[in-house]
Amino acid sequence: MDVGTISIILIVGLVLMLAIGMPLGFASAVLAALVMIMKFEPTLLTDPMSFGEGMLTGRPGTGPLYILTQKVYDLMTEYVLLSVPLFIFMAALLERSGVAKQMYDSLNFWMSRMRGGIAVVTSLMAVLMAAMSGIIGGEVVLLGLIALPQMLRLGYNQNLAIGTICASGSLGTMIPPSIVLIIFGLITETSIKALFTGAFVPGFMLATFIIIYIIIRTRLDPSQAPLPEPAEDDLPGGEKLRAFLAFLSILVAGFATLLLARLAFLTVTGRNEPGAENFEPPALGMVADAPYIGGVVVVCLLLMFLVFGWKYTKLGWHHGKGLVPPFAVIFIVLGSIYGGITGITEAAGMGALAVFLIALFRGEASVDLVWISLMRTLRSTGTIIWVTVGAAALAGAYTLAGGPTYIAGLIVGAEMPTMMVILIMMVILLFMGAFMDWVGIVLLIIPVFLPIVQRLPIEEIGLIGQLEPRQVAIWFGVLFCMNMQVSFLSPPFGPAAFYLKSVAPPHISLTDIFRGFLPFIGIQLLALSVLLIWPSIVTLLL
Amino acid sequence: MVEKSGGLKEWIIPFAFVLCAGWAIWHAPAYILDLWPHDDTTSLTVQISEIHKRKDVTPNLPGLFGVADIVDWAALVLLPFIFYLGAKTIVPAQMEFEHYSRIDKIAMFIGRIVMILIISMTSVMLYEVFVRYALEKPTLWANELTLWIGGFVFMLSGVYAMQQRSHIRIFILYDVMPRWMQHVCDIIWLVLLWFFAACLVFGSYKQVFINKFYKWQTFGTAFDPPIPATIQPTILIVICLIAIQALLNLIADWNKDPSELIEKDLIDEEELEAIKKSVGAN
Repeated sequence: MDVGTISIILIVGLVLMLAIGMPLGFASAVLAALVMIMKFEPTLLTDPMSFGEGMLTGRPGTGPLYILTQKVYDLMTEYVLLSVPLFIFMAALLERSGVAKQMYDSLNFWMSRMRGGIAVVTSLMAVLMAAMSGIIGGEVVLLGLIALPQMLRLGYNQNLAIGTICASGSLGTMIPPSIVLIIFGLITETSIKALFTGAFVPGFMLATFIIIYIIIRTRLDPSQAPLPEPAEDDLPGGEKLRAFLAFLSILVAGFATLLLARLAFLTVTGRNEPGAENFEPPALGMVADAPYIGGVVVVCLLLMFLVFGWKYTKLGWHHGKGLVPPFAVIFIVLGSIYGGITGITEAAGMGALAVFLIALFRGEASVDLVWISLMRTLRSTGTIIWVTVGAAALAGAYTLAGGPTYIAGLIVGAEMPTMMVILIMMVILLFMGAFMDWVGIVLLIIPVFLPIVQRLPIEEIGLIGQLEPRQVAIWFGVLFCMNMQVSFLSPPFGPAAFYLKSVAPPHISLTDIFRGFLPFIGIQLLALSVLLIWPSIVTLLL
Repeated sequence: MVEKSGGLKEWIIPFAFVLCAGWAIWHAPAYILDLWPHDDTTSLTVQISEIHKRKDVTPNLPGLFGVADIVDWAALVLLPFIFYLGAKTIVPAQMEFEHYSRIDKIAMFIGRIVMILIISMTSVMLYEVFVRYALEKPTLWANELTLWIGGFVFMLSGVYAMQQRSHIRIFILYDVMPRWMQHVCDIIWLVLLWFFAACLVFGSYKQVFINKFYKWQTFGTAFDPPIPATIQPTILIVICLIAIQALLNLIADWNKDPSELIEKDLIDEEELEAIKKSVGAN
């Protein structure tokens, strides 16, 4: 059977099976088997009696159908895929510890006198949490529990409050580490580390857009974000700045001390001695670096005691210490990935350990905490991985039938302007995103879309800047991730709305929530168009 | 007093099962040699005996009725007992699907096993990170062991997810259908799922059970875990378990009101309570 017919049957079959409520993973698995039959033994469909004669059924126990098992096996033994349960485990531990609440209190102290301060704090907190873990859901719930009641009590505009929480809470999958990018990288065989690096600038750009929007909106109409009454322990602006700078000095001094400790460790174990053949001097780990790092510590100490004063240093530490655990976790996870210490999978494991140790230190860790987090991990893993299993089988079968090449040829042959093709893809992704989970989209649509994009004339992609061929997959991955940001908010199934609904006061209806999203969806589309117009923004850090 | 999920028993029994199963899987070549001897005209017997000799944890124990020693047999015999005990004493957590029959407890116990596997996998990985970067004495086995356990985690979690009705489905049309039509849809997709399971088993049983399992294909590295020999059969077994579980679900849910079956909200009550407690809200 020719690949065109197979493709049509595939699409119709998929729509039908999803419509009757078949689990996504198994629907694609069934289609994978069907594609194999259509490709290798189509007579079986018209004449079932011929069973046992063709290529597929002639040799029971082996033959082309074994390829499906092989595809699933390949996926099951993919080392990077292990990071998915580990990131979920880490997020589950994080949600149940008091780290988030303390981080919020800290941030809130520093920004309480600012117009729209709590909304900005919410966004900043979301960014920090996004940099710790790579999933959404828990984040929106946490912000909804911590920040929403406070904003409503102060008389913040309800739509502003809702939109801020959900739009920022969704950043979890945009700012590395991100589970969406991990699965995208696995499916398309793109370097996940490169995807993470590429997503940094666009992710922070989106976060900045959200914060700028909040500031402008609250400046234009101050009644939307009334200022709170000063708390008892609040400091006047100048003194607050002084305390904050003192706190920063503590952070820098602490970090430099850690570096010194590492240097001492390296020196004692003799690992920074040049000698070995492919010796690479560890960054800031040579004995010659010691005076500089030591100097930083001394300067910070001087600043703390002489310039800012002991009193302010103490105040700064008291109000800032809630920020230390999140920064430590971010440092461990991203440091592991970029410091060349470990891969992404190990980084996720280290992150989970770090969160557990912090919970232990705070006296929140218990056997129950671990048990419940494990169960949450089990449930989410089963759900996500099995969509992946089905899709891996389908992608394998369809590729074998020549599908992606066929579709790419079709689109490229249609001689549409390049940007038109990409825009159509964006519309399809946005539309699918409104109805389907991101896992389904990345697994079903991306294997078809990416080959098309890679065959488009590269110089016509974007209006400013130029991508290199090897960067196209990275750009498209980040673009896809940005699309999924919109899908988290878009009605009728935007998951962020449902997460927030579960913790919002009862008088806030789903319609209210979605209404609050509108300007924020506009912001996300703006960020998306920046990526389209200036693709090489993803290569800034590469 | 209602017993809470996650008690000592629920840690120990699945852990014991994992230990026993680990021992049994590691020494599986011994069982193959004893129970399912190879045709002597091939050199397979020699090959697999070699593997077994290399891998035996207790090489000095004499074999009982053949190659496998007393510990191997004990592990194999204990497995079903531990499984039965674990399934029988399961305590469902609040976040789990509230309706379950006795036979569903099998899938739920598989879930408990996976939870133990997840924590074991994490520990092995962290141990490797520690010895590699702090002590600079990397192990040869930790990475592959992690990968191996991970394969089981991914596969087995599917059975549990099926029992919990938590596989991703799209309910837009399904929800507005009358009940009889939902039944028809459920039957159609169940048949399709069985069709897929049949295709997979039909298309690969020889490859998987003979070429991988019976010939005990290993990973071909220094540590040489039998990953192909164990994960590939697991794929076929798990897909069959999932198909059976789907049938059990259909029977169990036949007379239930659809509103009971709608997947619990994205976030469940217990989790919400835990998060609320952590932020100090009331």
